[in-house]
Amino acid sequence: MNTHPQFAEALALYAMGALDDPQERAALEAHLGTCGDCRRELEALRADTALLALSATGPQPPARSRERLLSAVAAEPRVERRNAQRYAVGRLRPRWFNLAPTLVMVLLAIFSILLWRDLRNTRRTLRHQHAEMEQLQAELTKKNAELEESKMVTDLLHAPDAWPLTLVSKKTPPQPQIKAVYSKQQGSLLLMASNMTSLPDNKIYQVWLLPADGSAPMSAGWFKADSKGNGMMFHKMSSGIAAKGFAVTIEPPGGSQAPTMPIVMEPAAG
Amino acid sequence: MRVSGTQAPNLKDDAALISRIRAGDQSAMADLYDRYAGVIYGVALRVLTSTTAAEDVVQEVFLQLWRNPQAFNSDRGRLAPWLAVIARNRAIDLLRKRPPEDDIDELPISTGVNLEDEASQKLVVDKVRGVLGGLPQDQRKALEMAFFEGMTHTEIAGKTGDPLGTVKTRIRTGLLALRKVLA
Repeated sequence: MNTHPQFAEALALYAMGALDDPQERAALEAHLGTCGDCRRELEALRADTALLALSATGPQPPARSRERLLSAVAAEPRVERRNAQRYAVGRLRPRWFNLAPTLVMVLLAIFSILLWRDLRNTRRTLRHQHAEMEQLQAELTKKNAELEESKMVTDLLHAPDAWPLTLVSKKTPPQPQIKAVYSKQQGSLLLMASNMTSLPDNKIYQVWLLPADGSAPMSAGWFKADSKGNGMMFHKMSSGIAAKGFAVTIEPPGGSQAPTMPIVMEPAAG
Repeated sequence: MRVSGTQAPNLKDDAALISRIRAGDQSAMADLYDRYAGVIYGVALRVLTSTTAAEDVVQEVFLQLWRNPQAFNSDRGRLAPWLAVIARNRAIDLLRKRPPEDDIDELPISTGVNLEDEASQKLVVDKVRGVLGGLPQDQRKALEMAFFEGMTHTEIAGKTGDPLGTVKTRIRTGLLALRKVLA
């Protein structure tokens, strides 16, 4: 298996929970997020540890253990519990409950009359507040959009195939940095940039997805860095596009159809 | 890494057992217990050296599977190695008096080793013991301290006086030796 040799020993320790150096552990976990080979090796190493566990097989638990387990299982029925609950509702329903629909209708009629009187007064007030409501509605729509975007960001971060990326400057020292997470399944890209070079008003940073099938780079959104060089972008595109990498170029506002050379940011090696 | 030869279809194989458990069939838990309680109890007893505590681990691991059978994916590997690793991790948590560290569905294990019947289990266990017995003593000790005593590589180095790098190499080499023999 093509595991990365610099992580080989740490992987074996990690498989047993025996890697206690926080930095080494963090570096390995970050690497596991992007390296399928090392993830598969970790699964194989866990299987090796399972063999170690099996070497202790021999002693048998006391006979009462089996009865204890089966009693505990019987006390936690999954399917039957739902059925039992449904039957219980039917059995406990009292006869007067049959009159409930009529009673509810009478109460509803009384309530409707009271409501109608109240409504007549309220309408007058509402007319004056109409403009204010429109404004609130606009704000609500905006908040909903923000909420939806936050949810997409959360979904992306929790996606099983979320791919954390770090893009660094091609020049040394590599101070400008972009951290990004991409989910092929969701077609979402979250990006956070720092230490970016400040651009004139007629320029933006545009992100490009480099398709794994070798086809032309696709625009994956654009962003501007603030006065401190920080920027953030969440971009939604078609799902299912496998990426072999990402790149960043400088483009006119609104972005370009194709990247304008040179590439200013690209994935870090390794 | 299949150890035994081709077997006749077994209606009680792992996938069938898990399907019955998912359907809420309590008798499947009895079959599961009969097949794998020894695996869980053995490793828990080795770690905890207390029959009562080991019995508790058996209960806990099986009940976790009963409550969340979706945690085991039969496409990814066999049930016995998965149960063995979960039992070991839970026993280590108890040994170190810490809350459970891993959710049981966060432990993908890739192995095809077959342990669905007593003969297969005995064959694998004998082979593993043979390999362990053939390892250099320092290597086997480092492996056992990490796995059965839950010691980190720093703790092992502190106890044995060996350099950290040596401890790391011993553990990895020992694990790979197990894999090669069963390949």
